[in-house]
Amino acid sequence: MKAFKSAAQIKDNLQKQSYIASEEIATIMYLSQQLGKPLLSEGPAGVGKTELAKAIAAATGRELIRLQCYEGLDETKALYEWEYAKQLLYTQLLRDKLSSTLSDSRNLTEAADRLAAEEDVFFSMRFLLQRPLLKAILSDQPSVLLIDEIDRADAEFEAFLLEILSDFQVSIPELGTITAKHIPLVVLTSNNTRELSEALKRRCLYLFIDYPSSEQELAIVRLKIPELAPKLAAQAVEVVQRLRGMDLRKSPSISETLDWAKALVTLNSSNLDSETLDKTLSVLLKHETDLTRAKRRLRQLTGEPMEPDEDSGLGQFRIQN
Amino acid sequence: MEERIIKFISALRAQGLRVSLAESEDAFNAINMLGVHERETFRLSLRATLVKDTADLKVFDELFPLFFSANTPPPLINLAEDLTPQEAGKIAEAIRHFNQHLQNMLDKLMHGEPLSQQELEQLAQMIGLQHANDLRYQEWMARRMEQALRFEEVREAIQELMDTLAEMDLDPQRLEQIRQLLEANQAALGEQLRQYVGQRIAENLSDQPPEEDIDRLLNRPFNALSEKNMQILRDEVRRLAAILRSRVALRQKRAKSGKLDPKATIRTNLKHNSVPFQIKYRNRHLKPKLVVLCDISTSMRYCSELMLSLIYAMQDLVSKTNAFAFIDHLEYITPDFQGKRANEAVGSVLRRIPTGYYSTDLGYTLSNFASDYLDKIDSRTTFIMVGDGRNNYNNPQVEIFRTISRRSHRTIWINPEPRIQWGTGDSDMWQYAPYCDDILKAATLNELTAAVDKLLN
Repeated sequence: MKAFKSAAQIKDNLQKQSYIASEEIATIMYLSQQLGKPLLSEGPAGVGKTELAKAIAAATGRELIRLQCYEGLDETKALYEWEYAKQLLYTQLLRDKLSSTLSDSRNLTEAADRLAAEEDVFFSMRFLLQRPLLKAILSDQPSVLLIDEIDRADAEFEAFLLEILSDFQVSIPELGTITAKHIPLVVLTSNNTRELSEALKRRCLYLFIDYPSSEQELAIVRLKIPELAPKLAAQAVEVVQRLRGMDLRKSPSISETLDWAKALVTLNSSNLDSETLDKTLSVLLKHETDLTRAKRRLRQLTGEPMEPDEDSGLGQFRIQN
Repeated sequence: MEERIIKFISALRAQGLRVSLAESEDAFNAINMLGVHERETFRLSLRATLVKDTADLKVFDELFPLFFSANTPPPLINLAEDLTPQEAGKIAEAIRHFNQHLQNMLDKLMHGEPLSQQELEQLAQMIGLQHANDLRYQEWMARRMEQALRFEEVREAIQELMDTLAEMDLDPQRLEQIRQLLEANQAALGEQLRQYVGQRIAENLSDQPPEEDIDRLLNRPFNALSEKNMQILRDEVRRLAAILRSRVALRQKRAKSGKLDPKATIRTNLKHNSVPFQIKYRNRHLKPKLVVLCDISTSMRYCSELMLSLIYAMQDLVSKTNAFAFIDHLEYITPDFQGKRANEAVGSVLRRIPTGYYSTDLGYTLSNFASDYLDKIDSRTTFIMVGDGRNNYNNPQVEIFRTISRRSHRTIWINPEPRIQWGTGDSDMWQYAPYCDDILKAATLNELTAAVDKLLN
């Protein structure tokens, strides 16, 4: 619940949550906190965009409120909904009380007036089902609001978010406008499957998280999976970095590197020989074509004899030798 | 500093970034917060507030050092200081053999003097640097300045000087040292020129008046566009598509709340004791399926490209698009669009199907389509033809067009020619016209946008 005093402090605190933040991430996160502006982080899948929000929540000790976006998401799922069933139940249970209130009214108008005086009871916070956005605004303690994969939501939902992100207030017709007690730290993530509207981008600070450098990645692997032998970890990271250089349908991301490292630990591997690679590479690559190409390439790099293949680049390579 | 940042922002704008006033305000707030002392932090605070698109990060990284580099040329080493008087005398004597210009230059290199502001300005005037407003010219302009200073001759002169000095019995080791220092100084001068050119170009950029009025371009016919205009329009298409998308999305959303769906209403309200609290509406399948046939012959190229860009920018509002391109035969181009931005994809299609070798054959294209892809058309499909209907007197195959039109939900023809030109020369437009549900004229980007809006209606 503390506010950070500098970017370096954010970095340290994130490190304590086993999140290795680059200078860039820490600085922009700090700016976001100081300016009270949402942070829009983009980048390939699995580079730790969502993790960042989780880690910052843990580091600040704030509650993490998460809104997962999907096509068709609307206000009733994101903001609030009246709890009809509960309202109905209460009317049933309070029927006696209601009839006693209304019983001594002389005419219909008076009864209606009395009923109107009581109607606030039924449209109060009690019957309001809070969805993530409203929860973040109403929260007594400052919170971290994570709006995950905003690019999956429809364009009109984005427009709806604008009011909330710029003023941190919502209007509920029956209750009036509710303003946030504490401005939450907002993190939006996007995988860039479609372009977001300019209006939304304008309201956010922009952070592009790319694949990490090999030193950073090694540090992440060492931090998250300390059981893995340092030498093996270095080799594994090198393989992953090399795979990213290839033209693959889906390049392996950090989360996949970690999965792979875990697999290597589980299998008790001591060396990255071609047998281990063959067995575990499917953790890293999720497309059949990628897998065969990667295996061929890695075998070439480890200097083992290759089977003849149709890859033209490799063919030339062999002639040269 | 503030002025510098404002200049930087206008240079970003000149390079095609859309930086709003609110964003520049954010940038200043961020800088007030974090200060300008640490260069990296300063760079990050500008970048996070001003650039909101991955593709634009490159432009930022290019421009930033030009505006906010330390602005000092690389250090030059003063050789003359640690020469013994005897050595200095010999060198002075050796230099005297060169012409005036080379003498000056060698002197400069000896004393490690950078070029003065005045000299730089003179050089800039000489090579016309004040007109350069593209960063791609930086290297070239710097080289021209080097040429103006006759760097090549200077290099030879250094060699000559060394030879003369060697004859004058100077210690070879010492000589080698002097030579290296002279060369390093020359390289440093080159670097100074390069930096100066970069900064001048950057300033030219920020002083540049905004691009030609975009509204005028939007209303200019496709066949009157230059490649440069086209570049601007390609960027503009993205913005138009975004506007169009929200408009169409809103319309689709509102259209949802049409008819009551009794079944769904009863089902959802069972939990409320069948009291209909939650009303469910029938969700008609409003998202259209599109089949687009684009003529990409020279006359139609721009129109088709912008059209495809628009359609692909709105993929989330369409349930499926199958795109085809043709000149004399049909090419299925949907795979080109997968995982690419629209203008890159269109570019790759255009490279695969170059113009100029053959002429448009609409009839053969239609028969191609009928034999291979007729199954792509069903009763929910909107069939869109983008073309001028000019068929080079080939068989128009109207019968096939009629079949397609009958199978599809709607048939729309987008034609850049006005009605008065149909049927003239090799245009078969009047023969196809009866089978179209709608023929939209789109000769400018504005009209094209309106047409796309209409077909997603």
